[in-house]
Amino acid sequence: MKSAPRFLPIAILVGAVTIVVSAQTSKAPRTSWGAPDLQGIWNTNTFLPLERAAKFGTRPTMTEEEHAQELAGLQERNKRPGRDSRDVAGKPGVGTEKDVARAYNEFWFGDKPTKLSYSTSMVIDPADGRIPAFTPDAAQRIAAKKEFLAALLQGTSGGRPGSISPRRGDPSPDYNLDRINRADGPEDRGGPERCFGNGVPVVMGTGTFGGVMQLVQSTDSVSLYYDIGQGSGFAYVIPITKRPHLPKNIQLYRGDAIGHWEGDTFVADVTNFSDETDFHGARENLHLVMRFKRVDAHTLSVQFTVDDPTTWTKSWTAVQELERADEKTTLVLEPGCHEGNYGLMGMLINTRAAEKAFREGTGPNPATQDNATGGGDN
Amino acid sequence: MGRYVMTLALVIAASASPVRAHHAFAAEFDAKKPVKFDKAVVTKVEWTNPHSWIHVDVPLANGTKEAWAIEAGTPNVLFRRGFTKDALKPGMVIVIDGYRAKDGSHRANGRNLTLPNGQTLFLGSSGTGAPAS
Amino acid sequence: MATRSIWRGVALAVAAIGLALAVSSIRTTGESSTRDARVADGHPNLNGIWQASNTANWDLLPHAVHPAVSQPGVYANHPVLAAPVVALGAVGLVPPGPGVVEGDEIPYTPDAAARKKENGERWLDRDPEVRCYMPGIPRAMYMPYPFQITQSANKIQMVFAYANASRTIFLEEAPLPPADKWMGHSVGHWEGNTLVVHVTNFNDRTWLSRAGDFHSDALDVVERLTPVTPDALRYEVTLTDPNVYTRPWKMSMVLYRQLEENATLMDFRCLEFVEETFLGHLRKNQLVKHWEGDTIVLDVTRRVPEGDKKYER
Repeated sequence: MKSAPRFLPIAILVGAVTIVVSAQTSKAPRTSWGAPDLQGIWNTNTFLPLERAAKFGTRPTMTEEEHAQELAGLQERNKRPGRDSRDVAGKPGVGTEKDVARAYNEFWFGDKPTKLSYSTSMVIDPADGRIPAFTPDAAQRIAAKKEFLAALLQGTSGGRPGSISPRRGDPSPDYNLDRINRADGPEDRGGPERCFGNGVPVVMGTGTFGGVMQLVQSTDSVSLYYDIGQGSGFAYVIPITKRPHLPKNIQLYRGDAIGHWEGDTFVADVTNFSDETDFHGARENLHLVMRFKRVDAHTLSVQFTVDDPTTWTKSWTAVQELERADEKTTLVLEPGCHEGNYGLMGMLINTRAAEKAFREGTGPNPATQDNATGGGDN
Repeated sequence: MGRYVMTLALVIAASASPVRAHHAFAAEFDAKKPVKFDKAVVTKVEWTNPHSWIHVDVPLANGTKEAWAIEAGTPNVLFRRGFTKDALKPGMVIVIDGYRAKDGSHRANGRNLTLPNGQTLFLGSSGTGAPAS
Repeated sequence: MATRSIWRGVALAVAAIGLALAVSSIRTTGESSTRDARVADGHPNLNGIWQASNTANWDLLPHAVHPAVSQPGVYANHPVLAAPVVALGAVGLVPPGPGVVEGDEIPYTPDAAARKKENGERWLDRDPEVRCYMPGIPRAMYMPYPFQITQSANKIQMVFAYANASRTIFLEEAPLPPADKWMGHSVGHWEGNTLVVHVTNFNDRTWLSRAGDFHSDALDVVERLTPVTPDALRYEVTLTDPNVYTRPWKMSMVLYRQLEENATLMDFRCLEFVEETFLGHLRKNQLVKHWEGDTIVLDVTRRVPEGDKKYER
């Protein structure tokens, strides 16, 4: 007790910190074993662009006035017909390639967002809220691929004028994940058409097309299940472990994820991606760190930091806040895509048929058709 | 405002998320071969991603029938909007138009579909929701 | 007086910090928790990576060694390796197994039995596993690849290495699926140490084994998982399907937890690879045509079916 007066200020400080800390975290539920509870079915109905419009400069939050203005703009854009319009250059498009390509309308892409975030962007670092520039090498490889795509569209209704390009016989300059104007084999049809599924990190879209993310947690692992898009969902287990990453030569589509807790934040470190991965231009050298934090009863913060010195000049970080959906009524659907992918088969079969018709003089040259962009809207 | 919209478009173009990832219908179906079936009878519905397939029997003038498969959109959005497999069941008579496959097979890209209760999918306002039942 | 109550408050605060630190270091890092036989709510601990260790995925019934794809040999009842597997030698054989079916019989109706036999003979063309399709339940549980369980109070999530298949076992109320599923809809509850799972809402697309065992969309499955040791689960499955089986029947096996320190669930991603198998015949220029070993030369001829049959799977 003689020492009490000396330690008293420190003890009070520690006590105060404890009280403050517990007050802050008491909003966020905890599991029965005391960890922050990240679990639930999560989605978002709030529009927030990935990158910041230049007019906001380095400001991560908008003013009330700006928010009202942006919200009005969003509502205006929501009213545009988009795919509901079947017009081509102002006239009904029946019998055009675009009409075939736009076979289903906006209804099939779900409801439009009605809420707008006060954040100006998901990207919070760099300070301008925009993805950093590509490295010169990355810019070159991406430009080379874009030129290849353009060459294959040359002379069609969806491309620049000109003769059919001799590059139609060339292999893709990268592992092709785009939709190119060719169907020599499955590799020409790109990731989504081959049912590759979404990669990580997932930037969730809004509403019924944006889908949901289900998170189940134990002392052992965090198991995510994304039900998004047109069956592009996937399961992703992040083990809580101290094991090292897999050897560098092991390349996986969604990398090798290892998890650990830093205080109340669950951190997943992911490496070992493959060249079939593509995240805003980054491929096998992508390094991803995801941070999950239960903000309060209704909100899960999902932050990701990505770096790849062969793609971007610096790392960047974005954060998305997901909203809790009702577990008793929210559907979490099966990811099947590959199982029902008649479309890929159909594209190959019908391109072979179109080539045959051309050889026999009964049909147009398929190379003169736009079988990629669908007339300017994929 | 214009720049804002452009940013969004760029994001969609560059993003790894296949935001509008349906395949290129134009590669499969022929704009010059429209089809329309006024009394197509549903025989089977495959509620699969990436696209549902609606199998129908189409009555022909000579009294026989022909089996067709019609491609539709992702079922996930329909389900989240309240549809179940009961919304489109074997036995239902529907009106369908679309474009036929280039190889001349009995497959078509559904353009408009009218359910027995009069509700139309594919075209029209995005206010089409779950059927009244 | 004020000093004493401050002291009390401080003591409590310090104790609280101490406890919080102690609790968080055990319960959030979870390194030793897979060795705990029970989880926080008292149920057996199913967390971890598990795998069956039998030949059920080949054949649920007792079976002796035989070629994975057969053709008649010199003797009537001794088939030999057929062309698709002859270069594989022993690797092209189905290993023997004592079977996992109670009573060693799957009670097919006569029509279903004929179809099963046909499925077995045509399994390369028909088995959804060959296409990298979702394997369904119970097959996913006994494929020879690991799966990882994450167990919480209201859900048990299983993620299978094969084809990234997964399923959620709902321990609380959850909405029914709007259409049939490859992996079915799983609802579970605990009966003492046994996890009982009722799986329904199947489609008719999955098989139960490479031998051609199948079911209709009326399939109803009840699973029981009971620890026999902290790292081994007895897995019992009762299957009912009046369209295909004359009565319910049961299979039983043990699932083993992987105990390696660096046990990892790696994604057995097959879809890119199987494109050549089921779409290769549709390439503009054939890719897989010819292969030469020291003693075997294989030439591959692809066949495109006619008309609408092209689209049949």
